[in-house]
Amino acid sequence: MRKILSTLLLLLFSTAARAESAQDIVAGADSVRNPQQPFRLTVTDIAYNAGKPTDKNVFSVYSKIDPATRQFRDLVIYIDPPRDAGKMVLFRGNVLWFYDPASKDSIRIPPQQTLTGQASAGDILTENLAINYTATLIGDDTIDDAGRQKRDCWHLDLKAANDGATYNRVEYWVEKSTHFPIKAKFYSDSGRLLKILYYRNFVMGLDRVRPAQAVIIDAVDSALVTTVDFSDSHYQDIPDSWFQRDYLPHVKAQ
Amino acid sequence: MRKRLHAVACAGVFMCVSPANADDGSDLDRIPPAANEQVAATDAAAGASRALYLQDDFALYAHRAALAVPLPPSTAPSWEERLFLDARVDWKLSDTLSLVYSGRFNFRAEDDLPFPSHENIRHDFREGYVAWEIGDGAFAELGRINLKSGVALGFNPTDFFKTRAVVEPLTADPSVLREDRLGTVMLLGQRVWNGAALTVALAPKLASGSAIYFNDNLPGFDPVFDRTNAQARILVKASVTLFDDVSPEFLFYNEAGRNSFGLNLTRVFGQSIVGYVEWAGGTRASLVHDALVFGRATGTLPPAAPSIIPQSAARSFQNDLSIGASYATAAEMSFNLEYHYHQAGFSDADWQNWFAAGAVGAPARGALWYIRSFAADRQEPLSRSSLFFRASWQDAFVHDLALSAFVDADTRGGSGIAQLSADYYASRDWTIGGLVDATFGGRRSDFGSLPESTNVLVKVSHYL
Repeated sequence: MRKILSTLLLLLFSTAARAESAQDIVAGADSVRNPQQPFRLTVTDIAYNAGKPTDKNVFSVYSKIDPATRQFRDLVIYIDPPRDAGKMVLFRGNVLWFYDPASKDSIRIPPQQTLTGQASAGDILTENLAINYTATLIGDDTIDDAGRQKRDCWHLDLKAANDGATYNRVEYWVEKSTHFPIKAKFYSDSGRLLKILYYRNFVMGLDRVRPAQAVIIDAVDSALVTTVDFSDSHYQDIPDSWFQRDYLPHVKAQ
Repeated sequence: MRKRLHAVACAGVFMCVSPANADDGSDLDRIPPAANEQVAATDAAAGASRALYLQDDFALYAHRAALAVPLPPSTAPSWEERLFLDARVDWKLSDTLSLVYSGRFNFRAEDDLPFPSHENIRHDFREGYVAWEIGDGAFAELGRINLKSGVALGFNPTDFFKTRAVVEPLTADPSVLREDRLGTVMLLGQRVWNGAALTVALAPKLASGSAIYFNDNLPGFDPVFDRTNAQARILVKASVTLFDDVSPEFLFYNEAGRNSFGLNLTRVFGQSIVGYVEWAGGTRASLVHDALVFGRATGTLPPAAPSIIPQSAARSFQNDLSIGASYATAAEMSFNLEYHYHQAGFSDADWQNWFAAGAVGAPARGALWYIRSFAADRQEPLSRSSLFFRASWQDAFVHDLALSAFVDADTRGGSGIAQLSADYYASRDWTIGGLVDATFGGRRSDFGSLPESTNVLVKVSHYL
């Protein structure tokens, strides 16, 4: 009996330990960032150079989890500026297609191309970090969030675990009490710090409190900062066929 | 690495492990105050359902003084002015029905066109169709539709509806040519599943074949169905995801009873490279034979005109191929390199015959140049094999400056065309740009024998 009890206790504690594992912390933050049901939202990114706004882009994003990979498939439609309106990028794992309505032409692009630009698509989209990265808990940190409020966080180190990972390494701060993602640092293959990201403006959206804005600070060019706002989000039934290249000419932003 | 260095430096020093010091947050000072302001909402549906812009282009052309095969009296302009309103609008009629229009109103002037005349105004009716979303991934469309196929950049063997569809282009850039081409009147049905798609297009014959148009006889407001619907055509294409990221597309095409087949395939290699293959094959005669037959049938060449260069009327299975790869860098650059093979195109012997016939005398020269016009009109490469390289760079040197360049070179004789273009996004609504292209090669080469040597174009666009 004692043996059974001790075994049960061991199981209980090991389960508790797993619940607090680094990977689960990252998964918890993923669920704050992204809902599990198909949804759409509007993404507005504004680039600042030396403190002044220089560029504004608006996209509609349609997202749905691929049951096979547990990773999001995304359809991004350019809304603004007018010269880009109607262009689309389809993300399905390593399969990326760029569609231009002017030529009705779709071109397959390499994943690297999503890393370009201040608010690269890899940042603004719904990457499930717990799937693409292996997390290690470094320790506890109390850091300032983007509003200079103290946040008691887990400090994690994420290493790319598969080809779906956008970056080679990510440092990640997740608030202990809420699993809110607070801050991340993204590194290149060579270990160079590329970007610093803060999540802020935590508001109700899609059934729970989620970040409504990401602030991306360029670590290479100190003059560049980009804000990415998430708005007008709602659940929407999205057929799987939307994430096929042949569907792109039929897509209509709603 | 920075974190690891910090940990090493602090080893054994108790105060260093203060959590607040682990990340000092000094990067927060870089967030501009303006970034704290509320972002205005944008109407997503309106933004994506229409595109309107006004553009003005002015081009200068330089011509070669001495050609290996002189042109007959030509109407090639030395300058051209083009002002156009380009529109693409999608009206939603109901939840499942929509009406699509795409076209361009042109005002143009050239040094060889009378002014004012009907040649100064032209409307390119690219598309006009009703789209019905039947549901469950099924679609039906009826009207003039621009149906594009292919995965390559410089030459698309499987883009069967490209023939005769481009109207008076201002650039030789293949990616720009696709932006202003006429659709074909067709009934299009498509079903898209998760991991597969099937498309069927039926295009009826609505007009008789017409002679090749030149810049001084373009119809003003005629929809020119004679360019796109002079033959009954059927296209069936199917794609299926076999595994991972491999989804080949198979095509069957029938034009006036003659069958062709095609294949498109792409594959990603690592994070930076996409490889692609595009192949089409079918029974046909040589380019020279097809050109002369078409010229006689449409009245440009005399019905009994003899063949000016040796050619065979025999039909055989001919292959077209584009194979290439694209490579993207972290510095917002992308590169494409492609090899193009067009079996029906000019062989070495055809080139020798073409130049030899051109040296004999003036009577044959019209027909010789007609063969080249025929290839350009059908968007077929003239030569049998060529190399295509394209590079593009976003935010080149300065923010909002986009540069692109391409070289299309005939592997025979090393001649080609090179183009450099730049676009500067001056504001949300205004873009200014320009390009320069030049043909190079010896007098008796593919591109070195062309009359145009250099073209300079400046443009300004205003998005409405």
